[in-house]
Amino acid sequence: MEDLLEQTIHGLTLGSMYAMVATGLALMFGVVRLVNFAHGEFFMLGAYTFWFAFQELDLPYPVAGLVAAAAMAAFGGVYQRTIIRAILERSWHVQLIATLATSIVLTNLAVIVFGTQAKEVPTRLSATVFQAGGLRIAWQRLLVLGASVVIFAALHWFVKRTKIGKAMRAMSQNREACAVVGVDVQRVALVTFALGGLLAGGAAALVTPLFNIFPDMGALLTLKAFAAVIVGGFGYVHGAIAASFIIGVSESLAAGYISYAYKDAIAFVIMIAVLLWRPQGLFGRRIGI
Amino acid sequence: MLRWSGWFVGGVALAVMPWLVGAAFPAQQRYILHILVFTGLFAALALSYDLVVGHVGSLSLAHPAFFGIGAYAAALLATRAGWPFLAGLTAALVCAGLAALLIGVPAFRLAEHSFAIGTLGFALVTHVVVTNWVEFTRGPLCVTGIPRPVIGVGALSLRITTVPHYYWLALTALALVALLYRGLTTFRLGRAFNAVRDDEALAATAGINPLKYRMLSFVIGAALAGGIGALYAHYITVLCPEELTIALTVNLLVILFLGGVGSLRGVVLGAVLFTALPEILRVAPTWRLVIYGLLLLLMVIKWPEGLDAALRRAGRRPRA
Amino acid sequence: MTPLFEVRGLTKRFLGITAVDGVDLALERGELVSLIGPNGSGKTTFFNCVTGFLPVDGGRVFFRGGEITGAPPYRIARLGIARTFQIVSVFARLTVLENLLVFLQQHQEENFAGRLLRSRRIHRLEDQALERARSLLALVGLARVPTTLAGTLSYGQRKLLAFAAALMPEPELILLDEPTAAVNPTMINQMKELILALHRLGKTVLLVEHNMDVVMDISQRVVVLDHGQKIAEGPPQAIRRDPRVLEAYFGR
Repeated sequence: MEDLLEQTIHGLTLGSMYAMVATGLALMFGVVRLVNFAHGEFFMLGAYTFWFAFQELDLPYPVAGLVAAAAMAAFGGVYQRTIIRAILERSWHVQLIATLATSIVLTNLAVIVFGTQAKEVPTRLSATVFQAGGLRIAWQRLLVLGASVVIFAALHWFVKRTKIGKAMRAMSQNREACAVVGVDVQRVALVTFALGGLLAGGAAALVTPLFNIFPDMGALLTLKAFAAVIVGGFGYVHGAIAASFIIGVSESLAAGYISYAYKDAIAFVIMIAVLLWRPQGLFGRRIGI
Repeated sequence: MLRWSGWFVGGVALAVMPWLVGAAFPAQQRYILHILVFTGLFAALALSYDLVVGHVGSLSLAHPAFFGIGAYAAALLATRAGWPFLAGLTAALVCAGLAALLIGVPAFRLAEHSFAIGTLGFALVTHVVVTNWVEFTRGPLCVTGIPRPVIGVGALSLRITTVPHYYWLALTALALVALLYRGLTTFRLGRAFNAVRDDEALAATAGINPLKYRMLSFVIGAALAGGIGALYAHYITVLCPEELTIALTVNLLVILFLGGVGSLRGVVLGAVLFTALPEILRVAPTWRLVIYGLLLLLMVIKWPEGLDAALRRAGRRPRA
Repeated sequence: MTPLFEVRGLTKRFLGITAVDGVDLALERGELVSLIGPNGSGKTTFFNCVTGFLPVDGGRVFFRGGEITGAPPYRIARLGIARTFQIVSVFARLTVLENLLVFLQQHQEENFAGRLLRSRRIHRLEDQALERARSLLALVGLARVPTTLAGTLSYGQRKLLAFAAALMPEPELILLDEPTAAVNPTMINQMKELILALHRLGKTVLLVEHNMDVVMDISQRVVVLDHGQKIAEGPPQAIRRDPRVLEAYFGR
């Protein structure tokens, strides 16, 4: 019984990570209708930034975490100003290939700069364990769960209450109309990408003490985050979050009870199954032409 | 008249290439022909991919999976069941085509981006399965000892053993694929494909069933990829799961966008440049991938029509 | 006599809004009918529903006596119903001539072997297709630009091309979605003449239109929609004076 509970909590931790990454993706798609194939690399670079700040510069954990999040927010902004601006008005083929190409460039640059050897970034919290009965959970996992609740609440407040959050919501419904009424489309796009970067960097700082860091980690994460976005109903942020947790828990349980080797395929099996049953995703709505 | 003679000379030159190379670069004959074999196979693979992406506009990212399915089918049938080459090749075509049929039915229910990601997911799952199903595919241990092709039986058999032999086999394969590509992309069928790509709703009002044409190009493209995978497996004689990764998709996209999406000449030009690049860019593979990525990024933003179209436009400008 | 085209009780809902609400419409062979109504009254949604682009929530559609409700667009096209789009649609990367030839796809679907053998029948069909294409281009005034890429044509030219293309497979029923929208006055007249030409050839035409002059000039019958419901139907002169119609357009 404790085993099942542990696996489930592991799954929720995974789900939190997927959710933070998928939310960034969903926001980008929702607000600017762009599919960012390089999103996993935001996370990967955030992880390496965190490693550098924590391990190499010896900054305290919270500071290193904030550095990673801030750095990725800045990176997201630069990314939007350069590449995204060039492809924003182009066909989705161009957008997909361009972001895919960016992903390849970033991954391989990471290989060159950091090497292929995986890095470990243990923190005090990942090393110590919370015990209750037969249950053993690393404190870091509980931190991840707690932090993600706070982060999503903050995001909800941001999108509902702030001026720019409202602009983001308006743009996700009708971009042309927004431009006409004077919404600074480029600025909203900038904020969206910075936000995506922030979420990815924050997620990296929270989760990497539990796993290894290696240059390829972005690719798989991008795909799983996409699976979550699709399962949740494209562009629908709440759906993406819910789907992320479903995928995270399923993956963890599958790894524990079915086969560790095939655990990465679970996200896609779920995605394909959901799409066969409901092509618009679990929470998406059917829209006509 | 001039065009025909140009084709004829070109064809003869390609046919006698091994001797030409042998005469010009005797020490590196084997190496250069080896590169040309890769060029030929890559060009054929890129053409099969262009059918799907360029002519019908379905951005499938599953091509490495079909290539791999064909390669593994041929490799396993040859090493485990002793199947002769042509039978294995046929099996590769059929397996890959069938996989495309199975995955296409659910995949084409998805819109645009979801389709791309769905196919990418399929490619990933295939990779995971091939890597982990060790009892069947030998996973990371690779399938070894794949025999060189033998076409025919007994006294009437053709043994493809040396690199020049393989060069001719690759050339024949490329010629056949190019012929099929031409047949599928011109006249009525080509127009229908392009119509589906340009405006699916309008194509429907013209009485064209978009799903039928998307599936047709998808399955044929996949079958061809599988066939080329089989040829590849027999050439390298050792087949590992690394052949099925997304790197292959990136390479194919670079070829397509470098040379010219949707044009036979463009794709072949792209393949030639692509296989020549590593020889010019004598840098580490990782750096090469960075450069490919940057190149792809640049090409797709600035010149999405590819070099072939750009050159053609440049050639046309002198006319007043 | 059964009408050529009949719609009974068509209903379409979108997230709580009923865009089309129980609309009945019947067209006899050879009629020229206009469908009008203020913006948002459901005209284009109606078109999309009867041509298979949107799934219907209620009602049935019949063509030549047979039911076509919910059939996919390509099958409806093959039965002999043509439609144009409000925002003009052409195949941008095909030439003007190819745009027309594409519309004969299903009528000349022959097998691969037949084409490889270049049989005489195939040749004849191709020649017929080309001849038909050229005559349609002449009809709409695009005879001089057969090899131009459709994407490079002006908006008006594209509208004419879309019109010609829709006529290629010799449809019996033609649905035109705002054929005179966003074009200059000369083109409006040209369109009017072309639609009248269709009528004289015995084709059945249903058009969605905003331009009241055109509607009043050429229609035999006018159907008025407002908020998804049919509120009036009759000859143009009667509709022009109908108080319900005036109210719908100008409010109380």
